[in-house]
Amino acid sequence: MSTLLPPPGEIAMIPVDWVEERSGAISFGKFMLFRNVPKDISWLQTLGSALITVFILQSTTGILLAMYYQPDPDTAWSTIQWITNDATLGWLVRGMHKWGSSVMVVLLFLHMGRTFLFGAYKYPREMTWITGAIIFILVMGMSFTGYLLVFDERAYWATIVGVNINGTAPILGPALSYILMVGPEISTHTLSRFYALHMLVLPSVIGGLIFVHMLLVVRLGVTSPPWSRMQPTEGDV
Amino acid sequence: MPRLTARERREGYQREYSFQKRHGKPFFPNAVFHDTIVSLIVVALIMGMAILWHAQFGAIPAEATAERIGGLLGPAYEAKADPGVLGYDPRPDWYFFFLFELLRIFKTPELLIVGSIIIPTIWMVLLIGWPFIDRNPDRRLSRRPIALALGVTVPIVLLTLTFYGSKAPGAAGQASTEPGAAAFAGGACSTCHTLANAGTAGNVGPVLDSANPDYATALNFITNGKGGMPSFKATYTADEISCLAGYVATWAAAKGTTPGPQAASAKATYPASCTKAGGLFAGTATNAVGP
Repeated sequence: MSTLLPPPGEIAMIPVDWVEERSGAISFGKFMLFRNVPKDISWLQTLGSALITVFILQSTTGILLAMYYQPDPDTAWSTIQWITNDATLGWLVRGMHKWGSSVMVVLLFLHMGRTFLFGAYKYPREMTWITGAIIFILVMGMSFTGYLLVFDERAYWATIVGVNINGTAPILGPALSYILMVGPEISTHTLSRFYALHMLVLPSVIGGLIFVHMLLVVRLGVTSPPWSRMQPTEGDV
Repeated sequence: MPRLTARERREGYQREYSFQKRHGKPFFPNAVFHDTIVSLIVVALIMGMAILWHAQFGAIPAEATAERIGGLLGPAYEAKADPGVLGYDPRPDWYFFFLFELLRIFKTPELLIVGSIIIPTIWMVLLIGWPFIDRNPDRRLSRRPIALALGVTVPIVLLTLTFYGSKAPGAAGQASTEPGAAAFAGGACSTCHTLANAGTAGNVGPVLDSANPDYATALNFITNGKGGMPSFKATYTADEISCLAGYVATWAAAKGTTPGPQAASAKATYPASCTKAGGLFAGTATNAVGP
């Protein structure tokens, strides 16, 4: 009987081969890992991957917070108090979500600055820059909508000021303020609208744009630094 | 530098990049190693901040009005939001300080839109459209003087605005003892308006000492709102609104204890409505920070 079985190494490969044959996932993964990048890429070019790490961190801590948080003016503040004081490691999850947002904004600035100084937005990477710029603006939107959810004094008044700033825009401004607040002032509906934007709309759009951004990076290849000496010579075409 | 045709540009780029790729190194483990180290540092930093924040302030006190201000990482737990609260000085989180400061620069009603909408919109358009504006194909900084100048100026401008935004004065002044002053300073008005007599320095709405509205205008705006200003019909009683409008009309642009030029328009109701409204409105409190 035992002679009929293939060696253990081959048995282990059966599920791997099964997946590969049906999806090509294994060869895609190999391509992703072992594709060549320019020899002289620098430490400055790690900021994009750090941003993905922070995005995953914000999503994870955000999901954990959403399990306990209630977007209701009467209970929002108390659920956060409960998360901070009573939930196991809740203070850490909440603290990391809060400070993660600041770190994300700083990293976005640095990543964008690096791209700018490297001239990495130039041909053929214009679309990578544009998707990145939109992600940047949407992340600022995440900060703004996340702010109210804490529902403390600072959150409340800063949101009123923010919405009123929107309201100063000509024609669309007052309508936009009304849509954001769901009425003339902050209410239960404002809180649930901000919550929906903060945890459903904006993260999915940002996630989708990050996917496109990364596809473009893989397709076009990582930029070599502008000071790169790796230049083809005459006979090397 | 001679202008290249699209085809020359494409072929030049492809020649260079395919060479660099051919002589490159695999993404794993080289780049992945660097990425992992930086990601770990970033996660450690975030955890460190969360731990420091918590260690400094501990649990949020049980009562909804408890506040813990100050500390190494900025304000910690604040009281539960209360629309009727007195004396709150709103401030955005640090990443909106630059916008906050822009609004302070363009604070007159006619210019407000420059800081609130026009400049941010221009910034966003420039940001998204930048690859189409900068057509210089060279990537070396020494051949990109304009881009380099911009790349240095923009961060400096943003950092300066952020710095001054963080230092923007709050409602720190001392309110006078006139009827309505304490309520103005302690209530939502101080959030947005500067009025010397009340000791407030809000920077979102018009400076009342310059706008100098008469009683009817002030009453109308407080009751119904105007532009960015919300309606306070639901927050205050009719007497309280009348008191605030009378106070603003009388004491905006006042010189010391001499009432301002619109004082006459409020004579019929002020300060009688304040006495009727009572409490903080009657003019007994002297502290701008509230009861």
